[in-house]
Amino acid sequence: MNRVLTLFQRWPFAFALLLALVLLVLNLAISPSFLSPARLPGTLATLAPFVLVGFASTPSLLAGGIDISVGPLATFINCFFVAVLIPAGLGDWQLAAPIVLAVAAGVGALNGILIAVVRLHPVVATTGMLFLLVGLSLTIAQNPVAAPDNWTEVFAGGVGFLPGALITIGAAGLLWFSLRRTAFVSNLLATGESDVSAYGSGVNVMAVRILAYTLGGLFAGIAGIALTAIVQSSQSSLATTYALLGLAAAVLGGTSLAGGRGGLLGALFGAVSIYLLQQLLTASGVAPSLIQFAYGAVLVVGVVLGATLLAPRLKRSAS
Amino acid sequence: MNNQPTGLVLSGVSKRFGATRALIDGDLHLRPGEIHTLLGENGSGKSTLVKIMGGVHRPDSGTVTLDGVPVASRSPRAAMDLGIATVFQEVLTAGSQSVLENVWLGSHGIFRRAMPRAEQRTIAREVLTRIAGDMPLDLPAGQLSLSERQSLCIARALVRKPKVLILDESTASLDVGSRDRLFVEMRRLAAEGTAILFISHRMDEVAEISDRVTVLRSGRTVSAVERAELSIDRLITDMTGNPDHDATRRQPHEPGEKILQGTALGLAAGSAPIDFELRSGEIVGLAGLEGHGQDLFIKRLAGLAPGPGRVERVLARGPEEVSERNGNTLGVAYLPRERRGESLFESMSIRENFALPTLHMHRRAGLLDSASIAKRFEAFAHLLSLRFGTAHDAISTLSGGNQQKVLLARWLATDPQVLLLNDPTRGVDIGTKREIYAILDRLSATGMGIVVLSSEVDELVDLADRVLVFRDQAVFAEIAHSGLSTESVVAAYFGQKSEVLS
Repeated sequence: MNRVLTLFQRWPFAFALLLALVLLVLNLAISPSFLSPARLPGTLATLAPFVLVGFASTPSLLAGGIDISVGPLATFINCFFVAVLIPAGLGDWQLAAPIVLAVAAGVGALNGILIAVVRLHPVVATTGMLFLLVGLSLTIAQNPVAAPDNWTEVFAGGVGFLPGALITIGAAGLLWFSLRRTAFVSNLLATGESDVSAYGSGVNVMAVRILAYTLGGLFAGIAGIALTAIVQSSQSSLATTYALLGLAAAVLGGTSLAGGRGGLLGALFGAVSIYLLQQLLTASGVAPSLIQFAYGAVLVVGVVLGATLLAPRLKRSAS
Repeated sequence: MNNQPTGLVLSGVSKRFGATRALIDGDLHLRPGEIHTLLGENGSGKSTLVKIMGGVHRPDSGTVTLDGVPVASRSPRAAMDLGIATVFQEVLTAGSQSVLENVWLGSHGIFRRAMPRAEQRTIAREVLTRIAGDMPLDLPAGQLSLSERQSLCIARALVRKPKVLILDESTASLDVGSRDRLFVEMRRLAAEGTAILFISHRMDEVAEISDRVTVLRSGRTVSAVERAELSIDRLITDMTGNPDHDATRRQPHEPGEKILQGTALGLAAGSAPIDFELRSGEIVGLAGLEGHGQDLFIKRLAGLAPGPGRVERVLARGPEEVSERNGNTLGVAYLPRERRGESLFESMSIRENFALPTLHMHRRAGLLDSASIAKRFEAFAHLLSLRFGTAHDAISTLSGGNQQKVLLARWLATDPQVLLLNDPTRGVDIGTKREIYAILDRLSATGMGIVVLSSEVDELVDLADRVLVFRDQAVFAEIAHSGLSTESVVAAYFGQKSEVLS
């Protein structure tokens, strides 16, 4: 039993991984064709925005802050692409992808500057940004506009054997794991764990914070593309659905709200768990009104487990 | 000028925080290859000086030069880039990061690593072995002991190969073995030409390691003593400045019966237990350098902190244990150290701040009787000669000293027999301080027993009947009224018992 606990403490995402596996087995039991090659690309494509919004929430949490605006940023990117870029003739991927990602990263950077330079509280800054983005989305695309055929469809289907969703998730993952090889992630974790220590040791805490939010924005931009892939229209109304989903995924995956602990794998397994739970409840005929209730219950249980039973008992520093 | 590096020179450096002048005229010359000790009691400006050198604060005036070049560090990072590495007083580690990450924390750029990982490991292991013995590099730093984490912070400074190394009370949390290793390493680095600034509250360490000692007092540099001329008596005299207290000292009243007793109070695992008793009419002072247990001790007396031993209020009907909840009914009042946060409600009015714990005394048919509150407030305002506009003004409109008087009035209104004051005159101007001393003297004359923790030695000498000096979480010395002087208290701060005590 102790060995199991040690494992959980070593890998903060272990609980979410286990939960995801259990839910996967249950899903397969109810619907045996759940993982069939024909359904897989579609399944993964529906999953991708969840995972990417979870990714987007992670860097700011690791830096000891919080970004509530990543979900609305993803839906804003969706509206911006479908209702602004395509009509303006900028819909080709060579043009649209860099524009979309730059805008998303820019919004993230703006959050970072408001928090690290202007010193607004993260909740205040990003809640403000949330309303701003929801408002902008409604302004540019009040009613859903169907998108003409475009490059994002690839991510809903597949390229040869490869499910398209793996490209969006993979791109974000690849970026993160190459950052892990630089000093950035160490700086990020140290800043989130103890900004006093990081600052006193010579880490440029301000730059690290801004970059954390920028990276979150970039991931939210990729999430926007993944979302566009499945809805193929502008869906400003989805903003509220995704608003807190990313945070839920990250926290369920063991990323600490206090900063400094966690990572992208946690958000991945957290998002997969939430998605599988949703599928399971839908497939087993549970009333849609109860699905939200189930989300909440799983999240609370997951966080309580993570915070009490499974958290490493680090010695409290006396100073 | 020749090519010989001159080291770090600070001259006429001053720094002000709000109304407090932390550093008025700081001079320090740190030569390459010397181990230079900076000495001073609480509030003498040591930490401020260190933070200016380390890039945390910028001086308001004065100059800082390194090898003749002006230094204007805007951050610890900038100071490090110039070759000044500081180990701050606080043990700064990121607990869930590995030992290796912690050693190199801050050495990297935002993305670029300082060097390949394998090389990082080799250097980290080498440095850690020299100062702390074997330490597993992949263990999360949070699982290390305090002494090991302190060694880690020192290693973090050493791997940068600094020209100037600043160790601010770094030996306070080191165990003896690690400290000896650190001293060996300091001598080695000094021999290689590193300038080392050492701060310690242990006189034996100071005497052992220093090539030179600079003494600060009340924000000014008062002396710089070469090793050959070093004597502990001289250093203590320099730190206290021989102030004359004959005119200002308070004469104790005849103490009455015992009203509070503490039995076998332990402040930390392994520290000597403390027995304490307070008699009515007494004013007992608690002293010590920051963090030596006096703060915990007064909270233990107030029943606010748990721990071994018991604190009892001695009443006619027998002793009763003091706890967090029964302070008011037992007549024990505690005034916390931090006005903001711990006791002040900044957005509430002066009178509301005053009346909060005693609201139950002003009830009429379950409702508050504001006329009776006002009357009572007027009485205390008069007693403490409180200066304010109207009682409805926000308390934040008052000066620090008057805020403190309101809080004092708040607790006096509970009619206590035992008054516990945690640094009551912090940030209070000298005039109001004198008024508070006079009030405390009047209260003790009426039979109240008072315990005052103070970071100001002069205050304790003027006010207290006797003073307990804390060192390493235990009472190091108890100084009676006859032996009370700034020298005797400061000597005890630094672990010396002067002749008057023995």
